[in-house]
Amino acid sequence: VAKTSLTSPPWPEVKLPDPVEEAKYHAEVVRKVNGLISAGEYGRLFAVVHFASKQWKITNEDLIMMDNVLEAECGDRIRMEKVLLVGADDFTLIGRPLLGKDLVRVEATVIEKTESWPKVNMRFWRRHNFQRKKIIVNPQTVLRINTIEIYPCLS
Amino acid sequence: MVVLSAARWVRSRLSDRFWRVQEVLKYARHFRGRKNRCYKLAVRSVRRAFVRSTKARREKKRFLRALWITRIEAASLEHGLKYPAFISNLLKSQVELNRKVLADLAIYEPKTFKSLAALAQRRRQEGFLAALGDGKEPEGIFSRIVHHH
Repeated sequence: VAKTSLTSPPWPEVKLPDPVEEAKYHAEVVRKVNGLISAGEYGRLFAVVHFASKQWKITNEDLIMMDNVLEAECGDRIRMEKVLLVGADDFTLIGRPLLGKDLVRVEATVIEKTESWPKVNMRFWRRHNFQRKKIIVNPQTVLRINTIEIYPCLS
Repeated sequence: MVVLSAARWVRSRLSDRFWRVQEVLKYARHFRGRKNRCYKLAVRSVRRAFVRSTKARREKKRFLRALWITRIEAASLEHGLKYPAFISNLLKSQVELNRKVLADLAIYEPKTFKSLAALAQRRRQEGFLAALGDGKEPEGIFSRIVHHH
């Protein structure tokens, strides 16, 4: 068949590496990272956590403020379970979409439960004698992230 | 003698006019010109300021999302990927990081962002290969080239 403009796709041809060699390479990388984790040769860990319908990038000794109420008293320790990503200087563990609970542990303490500053909500239509003013005060919670720990159980 | 209401010639006059006026002027103290001192001008300015702040609170979300997208686009172009390719391939590989976190990673964790870009690039290539299929022509179809004489 003769060559037309549609015989070959418009993107450049790509060749994936050999699956057997790739599997060996992957196993090697996983072994190395497991070794690093079990030896404890990482510095500060950071994690991306899904909490209060938002995603946060957190490290140790971090402060987080949420714009809602948490059903925990001040001083309670909380474990955050939905971890999306954990990383250190040399390696990152990316979850698809979440990482296992036996792999990462993120602990936080509830520090403060306050209200936000009074925000003014005003609506006004000119020439229609319409104005409404409302003061909105949201409850807020402040958490301090105590620790992020990883355990060497990769496969 | 019990009197239930005041007589008609007794008027009630405002005694706390100063504080009512201060309630409005306190929000106008950082304005420019006479509207930070004169009540009549300040009332209008303060009202417009409140309305603008309520509307801005809704627009801030759109503005921040556009900012994150710009930053992610710049960072992914540094690694040789365009933004739509990057985001779509990340989602297809079941990595559900939102744009805020991706922008923060691009700024503060460049190595992690590079690995995410590599992941998206690899998923893109696998998608291209899957789209090509076997490379054989489907049955029952013949192709010929029309010659015009």
